[in-house]
Formats: sequence, C-alpha cells, structure tokens
Amino acid sequence: MFAKDWRAERRARHAVATLVLFAVTTLVVASLALGPIGATPGERSDVAAALLWILLLFAAAAGLPRAFVHEEESHTATALRLAARPSAVFAGKLAWVTSLLCLLEAIAAPLALALFDLELAHPARFAAALAAGGVGLAAATTLLDAIVAQGRGATTLFAALAFPLLVPLAVLAVAATRSAIGGGEGAEAVLQLVLYDGSIVVAGFLLFPVVWNP
Amino acid sequence: MGGPTWVTAVNLVIWTGIFLYLLRLERRVNDLERDR
Amino acid sequence: MRRLAAWLLWLWMAAVIVAAFHWAPLAKDFLGQSSRILFFHVPMAWVSFVAFMTAGVASLRFLAGRRDARRDRSAAAAIEIGLVFALLATVTGAIWARIMWNSWWNWDPRQASIVVAMLFYAAYLALRTAITDREARARLCAAYATLGLIVAPFFYFVLPRLGFSLHPDAVINLRGKVDVEPKMLTVLVASSAGFTALFFWVHRLRTRLADAEERLLEGVE
Repeated sequence: MFAKDWRAERRARHAVATLVLFAVTTLVVASLALGPIGATPGERSDVAAALLWILLLFAAAAGLPRAFVHEEESHTATALRLAARPSAVFAGKLAWVTSLLCLLEAIAAPLALALFDLELAHPARFAAALAAGGVGLAAATTLLDAIVAQGRGATTLFAALAFPLLVPLAVLAVAATRSAIGGGEGAEAVLQLVLYDGSIVVAGFLLFPVVWNP
Repeated sequence: MGGPTWVTAVNLVIWTGIFLYLLRLERRVNDLERDR
Repeated sequence: MRRLAAWLLWLWMAAVIVAAFHWAPLAKDFLGQSSRILFFHVPMAWVSFVAFMTAGVASLRFLAGRRDARRDRSAAAAIEIGLVFALLATVTGAIWARIMWNSWWNWDPRQASIVVAMLFYAAYLALRTAITDREARARLCAAYATLGLIVAPFFYFVLPRLGFSLHPDAVINLRGKVDVEPKMLTVLVASSAGFTALFFWVHRLRTRLADAEERLLEGVE
C-alpha cells in the first residue's frame, strides 16, 4: 500500500515540491520580518514553533493530495476494498502521509531554527514533539479524509471536520515545541500530545474499518 | 427594584414556561405514537 | 416521563432557582451578585458534555451491535441538544466574563475549549447534511461521534487546564476552586442534577419525535 502510494506520488511530485517551496518561503519571510524588530529569543522561539506547526497543518490539511477522495473519484476504491484488509489500507495511507510530513519536517525544522537563530534547549523533546505531532496530524487527516470521501462537498467539509480536531493538537504541539526550543517546563505538554495523538491513531485504526466498509 | 427577588421571579417564569412547553410536547408525541 | 416525575422536576428546578439567589452565599472574590451565574453556567456546560457522551455511547452501540437506526437518531438528537447547552454555557460564561473582567471574550482557555468542542459537533451536523445515502450517513456519523467520545473529554477537561498552565499571564481565572462553601456546592450539584434530568427528558422527546418522523416517511414510501 505504502509503496504503491509512493510510486504514485513520484509521478505527481509537484505537490511535495510546492510544499517545500511554501515552507521555505514562509520561514524566510517571517524571519526577515522579525529580524529588524529585534525580538527576544523567547519571542523568536514562540514564533518559530507556531510557524512550523502552521506549515505542517497546512500541508496535512490542504497541501497533500486528498488521498481517499481521489481514490473514490477515480473508482479505484472498490478495487482496494476487495484487495486489502481495512487495517492494511489505513496503515498504508497513514504511513504515506506520515512520511510526507516527516520529509517536510526534516526540511522545515532545521531551517526554522537556523533562520530564527535559535538553539535547541531540549533536542530530544523537540524530536518527540515533531514525531508525535506529525503522526497525530497524519492520523487525523487520513481518517477524516476517508469519512469525507463518501460525502459531497469534500474540501469544505473536510476543513470543517479537521479544524476542531486539529486545534488541540496544534496547541499542544506548539507548546511542546516551544518549550523544547526555549527551555522551560513542557514535558507534560509532550506527554499530553502523545496521549492525544495516541488516542487518535488508535481511534483511527478502530473506526477506519467502519468508515471504509458499508 | 428588589434585585435578587426580581431575578428569581423572572427565572421562575421562564422555567415554568419551558416546562409547560415540554409537557405539551410530551402530550403531542404521545398522541403521535398512539396513532401509529 | 410520568406526570408526577415531570412536576417533581419542575419543583426541583424551582427550588434550585430560589436557592441560587436566596440561600446560597455569595462567593468571596466575585463582583456583587455575579457568582450566582455559576449555578446555571457550570451545569449547562456539564450537561453539554453529558449530551455528547450520550451521543458517543449511542453511536458506539450502533457500530458495535445492531445497526439500529434508532441509535443513530438518538445520537443526532443528543448532539443537537448538546450544542444548545454548550451555546448557553458559552453565552452565560461571556456574560460573567463581562461582569468580572469587563470583556466578553478574550480566548481564555476555557472559552476557547468550549468553542472547539462546539465546532467539533457542529461539524457532525454538517457531515449529516453532506451524506445523502441513509446507511452511509448513519455509519459515518456514528464513527465521528465515537471519535468524539475520545476527543471531547480532552476538550472539556484537559485543554482548558493546559492552556492555563502554560500562559500564566493570561487573564486570571478564578473559577478554579470556587466551590469551597458547602451551601454553594449543594446548589451547584442540585442544579447539575436537575439540568441533567432535563436533558434526558428533552432527549427522549426529541428521539421519539425523530422516530415518529421516520415512521411517517416509511409509511409514505
């Protein structure tokens, strides 16, 4: 499943390229704008963390090709339903979205740190926040994507569904990331992030079969 | 205007209104179910 | 609901109203009579949570057991009512915020959390209108509401605390430990119980109405 999507993506590479371009541009612009103001390290880490997650949110919610909607529209969905177990389908899609987000994170995060002239106070926490947040983001969007694929007005509906679910995730992720860059107690934010993500991933695996099969 | 007393009275009126409405709704639903 | 039980509920809530304004003492740090709002604001928020949990349980039972359409209707009804209570809670909260801190809205973590919860369940209703196929609609909405079962406790109990702990410079929220006075606690609990009973009554009515509508439609077909 995972391999299949990667192969498909290679043909539509522009989506990834666009995302990277968008990420770089946003980060550059923001850091340029903040430069002259001479923001304190604390403020810079706030902005960097928030910006990073806004980028990732955008990527997950709008930038990535709407995998399931595409499948339903191109009617490959029926073939998929026959060929694979639901959990395999979900796992495959999840892995694909996660890997895309990880790629984006790998590019955007170091860039953000560099452009905003920041040093990591807690590297491990930083990695954990990015990983946990990324997986949670991927799981939520994949599940919602599957739900929305069977209705009308896919894009707007997806936005309506995604926002409430992703806001807490973003808040937690930004909090955890911010504390990882700037220092300070944020260990519990990471824990809560992992918990929130964990529940979504688990819920995703449990609910996907229901969503997928009539 | 006796503050708390007045507010209490207004709330009681509102609550009683809602309550009576619900009672009427209950009766209508009962009728609906009986007709089927 | 039996007539006697209904009138008992009336009496109960009437007593709560009277007690809220004449028996319970005023909270120390609050402006004038404003702490009275507490006795209505908190139970409403609580009931909205109960409503969403009810919907979640009904949806879970729908998915896990017989795909009984009645459970789907019950879930939808619960969410509609839950949204109403959540909205009321938000409004009463805003009124209170205005009295206390002279600002209707400042994205205080608790305000923000309840808004997120409302958006989540409003999206449920949007989902309901977006899917035309009856079976798919019930199934997908049930999945969503079951997701809510996991996520809503987070919105109601974790998110407010989190935001608060990480932004100590936010508007000081004194609502943390208000119920120190036993009399206040009594009225608060009594009010919550009354509102909860009220919810279940209204929910029952709404579900029966939906069932009757459905029967009517089937009769036409």
